[in-house]
Amino acid sequence: METTMETTRSATLQDKVRQLQRAYLAKLPQSLAQARAGMATLTGDESSEQVLDDLYRCFHNIKGTAASLGLLAISDESAIATKIVAQLQKLLEYSTRRNEMAAKLAGLEALVGELEDLIEVAPEPVPVESAPAATLGLELGSRPGKVRGRIYLCDEAQDAVHLAAHLACFGYLVSVYTDLGELQRAVLENPPNAVIMSTKGVDLAESLRVQVNIPFLFIAEEGDFATRLRVVQAGGAAYFLKPVTAHDMIGTLDELTIRREPDPFRVLIVDDEPEMADYLSLILEATGMLTRKLDQPGRILDVLSEFQPDLVLMDMYMPTCSGREFSRLIRQVPQYVSIPIVFLSSETDKSVQLSAMRVGADGFLTKPILPEDLITAVSVRAERTRTLRSLMMQDSLTGLLNHTTLAQFLEATLAASRRQGGKLCFVMLDLDHFKHVNDNFGHPAGDQVLVALARLLKQRLRNSDMIGRYGGEEFAIIMQDVSEDEAAEIMRQILQDFAALSFQAGKTAFSCTFSGGVAGFPVMESTEHLVLGADQALYAAKRAGRNQVLTASQCKGGQ
Amino acid sequence: MRLLVVDDDDFAAAMTAAVLEDGGHEAVIVESGAAALQVLAAGPAFDAVISDMNMPRLSGLELFAALRAEGCTLPFILLSGDDPQALQRREPQLDACIAKDGNLEHTLAGALANLFPARN
Repeated sequence: METTMETTRSATLQDKVRQLQRAYLAKLPQSLAQARAGMATLTGDESSEQVLDDLYRCFHNIKGTAASLGLLAISDESAIATKIVAQLQKLLEYSTRRNEMAAKLAGLEALVGELEDLIEVAPEPVPVESAPAATLGLELGSRPGKVRGRIYLCDEAQDAVHLAAHLACFGYLVSVYTDLGELQRAVLENPPNAVIMSTKGVDLAESLRVQVNIPFLFIAEEGDFATRLRVVQAGGAAYFLKPVTAHDMIGTLDELTIRREPDPFRVLIVDDEPEMADYLSLILEATGMLTRKLDQPGRILDVLSEFQPDLVLMDMYMPTCSGREFSRLIRQVPQYVSIPIVFLSSETDKSVQLSAMRVGADGFLTKPILPEDLITAVSVRAERTRTLRSLMMQDSLTGLLNHTTLAQFLEATLAASRRQGGKLCFVMLDLDHFKHVNDNFGHPAGDQVLVALARLLKQRLRNSDMIGRYGGEEFAIIMQDVSEDEAAEIMRQILQDFAALSFQAGKTAFSCTFSGGVAGFPVMESTEHLVLGADQALYAAKRAGRNQVLTASQCKGGQ
Repeated sequence: MRLLVVDDDDFAAAMTAAVLEDGGHEAVIVESGAAALQVLAAGPAFDAVISDMNMPRLSGLELFAALRAEGCTLPFILLSGDDPQALQRREPQLDACIAKDGNLEHTLAGALANLFPARN
């Protein structure tokens, strides 16, 4: 499944909203007439209390509903009406101030009149989108990849378009505005995920932030303290000095606009008592964890490999085998040496607990188990496994999978594809003339290139694709359910975008390309063949002049 | 997901439901806190309650308190025309509190994504 950050209103929702707006506008005069009738009965005695309560609710509802439906002027007027009614409620408590009440009431009547006028002059309630000067980026469907989010960029300088093009390469949909007024209209009508603007727009940003809760990023010519302070006071989320490198900008944008939700913890519950297992599962799932219940110990190895839990929660005493035997069995499988096992039992005898610890239990929970204790015991340990596992699996510079982990995944996914009769591709990429980059521009510049390619791959490939850094400047990718040709085509598009990026080293700008080789199952039958095939295709691409992606089949055919 | 929408204003309720349905969810509308309590007690499973604050008799916050008092732990999202942060401060146990404004489709989707990261 792809998770896209598409934020525009879908056509069906837009239609529904338009219908609701029409129906609401048709109904409003009736509500206002009722309000008027209520106001006419206000005498200032005790019966007025109920009337004022009703009036308050009436205007308060209009305020909220009109705002939801995008009828902002009506909502604003009703907000004022709500305040007047609240003042009237106060005045009613001191019923001596009749004159003041009469004045307020007159004000309220005038407001209702204005509301009625507003309904009349709202023939086309749906705001018309103001057209940006240019829209760059990936149109959904025209290209595989994820749309990161919608960005409005407002800067009259020429390099704005250049920056927009860069951001588009990373999957952001960028609209460029040259006029602050147009930007303001667009932001209010269709709020983007973030706004990038020059420091000239700082006042506008400050006022817009009150209405729309989105990050504003600033680009400045100068880094002086006064301007920086002004940006901070206006609530700016970031400050960039020109020339802005797209990579820094994307790093910040990703952080600000993509909410990375961690995967829920996975807990395997082994208990022969179904009621107990249900109870544990209920508590843990309520905190957002995923659980799997196992009542037949015999299936443990299958379930472990299928469910891939972060932690095992196990009853100490079960009929077929004891928890102690069970954990020893799990620990004998090399893959599960580090998985935490927590025992549940009514055992309070410390020596029995200790002997369980000796066979590799990580914790002990004694029944009756309090929900809070259970949640803490499980989440602390699962978190730790997660961290350890990711440290073991990831390349520290790029955050991609490391060589060993990717090789293990290749084994596992190939086995799955073989079982299901599916397709699978192994891709190897190598940066062209990378030594030259490091030698001429320094290692920090080289790292910048590696990180940029890693980021581009992560953004443009599917979540199910596994991306690893294979060594120095080599990357490898496992893609399921695509043919050699399809995988190569996707890589070529990424290559095209990657080649368009420009990197900054001091005052010099440079760009980079890569070469790639693709080998696919079932054409290649084993992991060895896949790796060798991709490697040979990569080598052929290098020989053919670099900056290209070839498939193993192409190379065979050519030779 | 299946969500219970509680709002005495049927246009506001329809708008909330439209936003939810657009997000691929199922929305069931009831028009009062009392009706919500009845529906929830009757059993059909919901994944969360999305309630308006300002309703006659039982307000959104009172509904929330009543549900929690009954031991119902369903995630509860409160919608309000007033400052949502103030309400959230009044009742920190609320799973989310959202302003009723033109941005509802984004804020509501965001709140649901926050509450149910796994299903996103």
